[in-house]
Amino acid sequence: MNLHKPTFNVNKLRKTVLEMAYAGSTVHIGCAFSIIELLAVLYRNHLNYPNNDPESKMRDYLVLSKGHGVMAQYACMRELGWLKDNSFTEYFSNGSELKGLSDSLISGLEVTSGTLGHGFSVGVGMSLGAKLAGTNQKTYALVGDGEINEGAIWEGALFASHHELKNFMVIIDENGFQAMGTTKEVLNLNSIKNKFESFGFETITIDGHDEECIDQAINKLWSSSSNMPKAVVAKTIKGKGVSFMENNNEWHYTRLNEHTYNSALAEIEKGEQ
Amino acid sequence: MRDAFSKCLVSLAKSDAKVLLLTGDHGYSLFDEFRKECPEQYINAGIAEQNMVGMAAGLARVGYRPFVYGLSAFIPLRVIEQIKIDIAHDKLPVVLIGDGAGFVYSHLGASHQATEDIACCRAIPNLSIFSPADRFELESCMIMSYESKGPVYLRLGKADRGDVHSKNLELKIGNLVPIKTNKSNDISFITTGSLVKSVMNIALENFPNSSVWSSPFIKPFENKQIVDICKRSQVLIVIEEHSIYGGLGSVVSEIISEFSPIRLLRIGVQDRFSQYCGTYDYLLEEHGLDELSLIKKIKQFIESI
Repeated sequence: MNLHKPTFNVNKLRKTVLEMAYAGSTVHIGCAFSIIELLAVLYRNHLNYPNNDPESKMRDYLVLSKGHGVMAQYACMRELGWLKDNSFTEYFSNGSELKGLSDSLISGLEVTSGTLGHGFSVGVGMSLGAKLAGTNQKTYALVGDGEINEGAIWEGALFASHHELKNFMVIIDENGFQAMGTTKEVLNLNSIKNKFESFGFETITIDGHDEECIDQAINKLWSSSSNMPKAVVAKTIKGKGVSFMENNNEWHYTRLNEHTYNSALAEIEKGEQ
Repeated sequence: MRDAFSKCLVSLAKSDAKVLLLTGDHGYSLFDEFRKECPEQYINAGIAEQNMVGMAAGLARVGYRPFVYGLSAFIPLRVIEQIKIDIAHDKLPVVLIGDGAGFVYSHLGASHQATEDIACCRAIPNLSIFSPADRFELESCMIMSYESKGPVYLRLGKADRGDVHSKNLELKIGNLVPIKTNKSNDISFITTGSLVKSVMNIALENFPNSSVWSSPFIKPFENKQIVDICKRSQVLIVIEEHSIYGGLGSVVSEIISEFSPIRLLRIGVQDRFSQYCGTYDYLLEEHGLDELSLIKKIKQFIESI
């Protein structure tokens, strides 16, 4: 039971990510920081969990296909009272449940991901199931821009469009980086918006760190009379919120030390004031 | 056998609206009746197997009972990671049907032949593997797949070799089914799927003091029955239309080496692809799995010990 109404304050969420990354001496901090605002807005204003139950049959589905950003989702789930505090302080300790990538054994995480291009299709299946059952449940699939290198994404995009899964929304975290470099250097995606539009998705490009803008885009897409699936291309900054992590791809795989942890924490706390 | 498959699928779908058939643009006339009887439960996912299997996981998550159909060269081979992560990891009740296993597509070459599918699936936790030999085993396997709480890979090989049983069966999961029993039991044959009929034929005509067991279940597999058979046999011979690596022969050898060592001959596809094309019977011959080659290999083995 969650006694405090969650605010999903983005500074607080980033602080949680930072604390758990430091506690667990883990990587993928940049991947989590780029989707903080997206997740905050989804949980705050859009995702429907009747009775705050992550397993409610009538819930909306949030599929974190880019499993590498899972710390951002853990931070939101903590606000909802779905995770205990010691899951964060003991992150990555032997025998602990929360893993470094999304894992569906955790109530509140819909899919096991991290191997990329999987969650999107599972989300398409869930959305198809909701359509066949005649419910109005929404499905959100959050994918990385690097992730859409995977061919399975485009198989799923064809299907969602062909079957007019109007309650399916893909959100692309376009932070411009993948593991080994920029998306431009590794495998150029050119216009992601044009690609999804050409697959039949109703698509909007936004600043993925502007909470109001995210909220408006999602509302606008859901209020559309079109039967087509939706896509939000969110322009984001990998490592957003900590100056020395922003657009520095080393924070895909660098671990915090005492110095970087304190510096990052100080920056986030400064933002809170 | 294909008729039985189609009828059984239609009957399951008619009795449970949650049953969905997903096909990767395969099946042709096999699904005519299904499409006619249950059009709302039929989904052609296109030539996009990875997405199809991921979607099946999503559908199972929200309460549906997907039967995913493809050729065994694609389901499970092409989508082994989706099966592992999206389906098996969460024990989702998805039935994966791999049709045309072995050398059924004998003229089409290696891309459409599957003799490594069991090996690929066996090490995936929570995934059962069924390999029926005739329409009676198939029907039982279909119903058991539907009733299963977890995922099943249903391997369908050459379907027109004729029945090996004469009536409906009550199969017990993990257990062998006797085809031919014999008191003296010098040789015990254990075989599965498409080759059960051939083994039955050669045992009846050439090896009177033998017993023959069909193995419709590759996983789970009851160890004790093999140990019991070993106690009553001089030699064990496993015959399958699958690689000698990782298939039924491996299952049996793992058990006997641990619990009850006796001499074992594994007959299957050697570690190679088909070199030539031709009829199904021609391909069996190329791989030494036709009846004459089997008899020769068995006799050589018996003489060598």
